[in-house]
Amino acid sequence: MALPEWSAAFEGSLATVRSLPLLDDVSAWALAGSTGRGVKVAVVDSGVDATHPDVGGVAGAVAMQVGEDGEVEQVAGPHDDLYGHGTACASIIRGLAPDVELYSVRVLGANLKGRGSLFRAGIEWAVDHGMDVVNLSLSSRSETWYGPLHDTADHAYFARTLLVCAANNVPGPTYPSQFASVIGVAALPGSSAAGIAYNPEPPVEFAAPGVDVEVAWADGARIVATGNSFAAPYVAGTVARILGNHPHLTAFQVKAVLQALAINAGEAP
Amino acid sequence: MTDPTPPAVRLPAATLEQLRGTVAALRSLLRAAACSVCLVLDDGAHLEFVAADGEGSERIVGVRIPVDRGIAGWVAMSGEPVAILDVDRDARFARDVAESTEYVPTGLVAVPLADADGEVAGVMEVLDPVWEGDSARTLAIAAGFATPVAGLLQLGGTAEDRANPLPPDLERSVRDLVGGSRTAQESLEQLLSAVARLRSGR
Repeated sequence: MALPEWSAAFEGSLATVRSLPLLDDVSAWALAGSTGRGVKVAVVDSGVDATHPDVGGVAGAVAMQVGEDGEVEQVAGPHDDLYGHGTACASIIRGLAPDVELYSVRVLGANLKGRGSLFRAGIEWAVDHGMDVVNLSLSSRSETWYGPLHDTADHAYFARTLLVCAANNVPGPTYPSQFASVIGVAALPGSSAAGIAYNPEPPVEFAAPGVDVEVAWADGARIVATGNSFAAPYVAGTVARILGNHPHLTAFQVKAVLQALAINAGEAP
Repeated sequence: MTDPTPPAVRLPAATLEQLRGTVAALRSLLRAAACSVCLVLDDGAHLEFVAADGEGSERIVGVRIPVDRGIAGWVAMSGEPVAILDVDRDARFARDVAESTEYVPTGLVAVPLADADGEVAGVMEVLDPVWEGDSARTLAIAAGFATPVAGLLQLGGTAEDRANPLPPDLERSVRDLVGGSRTAQESLEQLLSAVARLRSGR
């Protein structure tokens, strides 16, 4: 059966991956009791409807836009969700980690021109403002933006801001989801999928539920939708819970924990 | 709300024919109510439907929609494909689409189309496909079609360039020359002037 690009790697019987022998019950250590309290999570998307009951408010919001001089401007303060998608991502994160501090960073606006600049500016804002986790259900195929986004992803990595990026279903490379410095996510096959899986054949390393999931949408609605863009916030919410229990973890340590939590994790022979 | 500006995009006939054939094939494959392609206009703020097959197709071609709303707008902005089973629950989407085509789908799949530089050039939508199992399969098929459809469109230049292979004044000059409505000297001068402007990028 055909599956979305990158999801195919997670189809059928998953190969066991050799995770670090962290603890007998890594799930309890990583997740138990954590609601994401004290963790800052930015949703870089189309805005977030903070009044949606599944979102439960945001701690802050900023919109990136291209000014008359062609430079990126930051407009702080409440804003709407232009489409509904940012609200969807926020609802998934909130559902997993109800006490995170959610921030909406709107980078999608009225014009496609400057899209790459706004996208990058949104990530930089998140790093500069001490976000612990950033959900990026967006991607670029532009070779022009390969280098700049690579630099930004490295900047985030060393600043300990974890970028969780949706892979793209259309075949071909997209950025930054395929960079080693980010947590790339595809949808785990099946509408009843649960948990996180690790792909033994990256670049896209992780998969999470993203097929026929019910999510919040614009105007207080809920919809049922499919896409890697809904799998990424599942991982972002899980990372927020891990950091709620262990705020000292670095990006590479979080990846090791996620791998150990994976449904196909095993012990090294 | 749709833009009242009259349709402007006219793809070369051969490209349009191939595009129509491809969207018709995808619609048939997925047993969908409709399939359409819209392209990003040079202003970066609008998408214009250039080819469609199925329900509402005769009304949707030529319709411009703003890129800052709707499912197609989000896909163009984000570069990410999406499938939505109950898009009619999005009141704004339903209202916008109803104004454009009078056909409001229950579900849809939308995938981005890239230009040769990897920038988003348009969006292909499949309305009310027959879902087989979960929607991942349908999304995968539509996403698989995105590459060849984008290839059809990657003829260089922008949407308006492709729509009007000849700038209006240049086209008029050629028509005048062929039709004999102006003197050869006048037409030639106009032609040279238009070519000079083209070369200077104005």
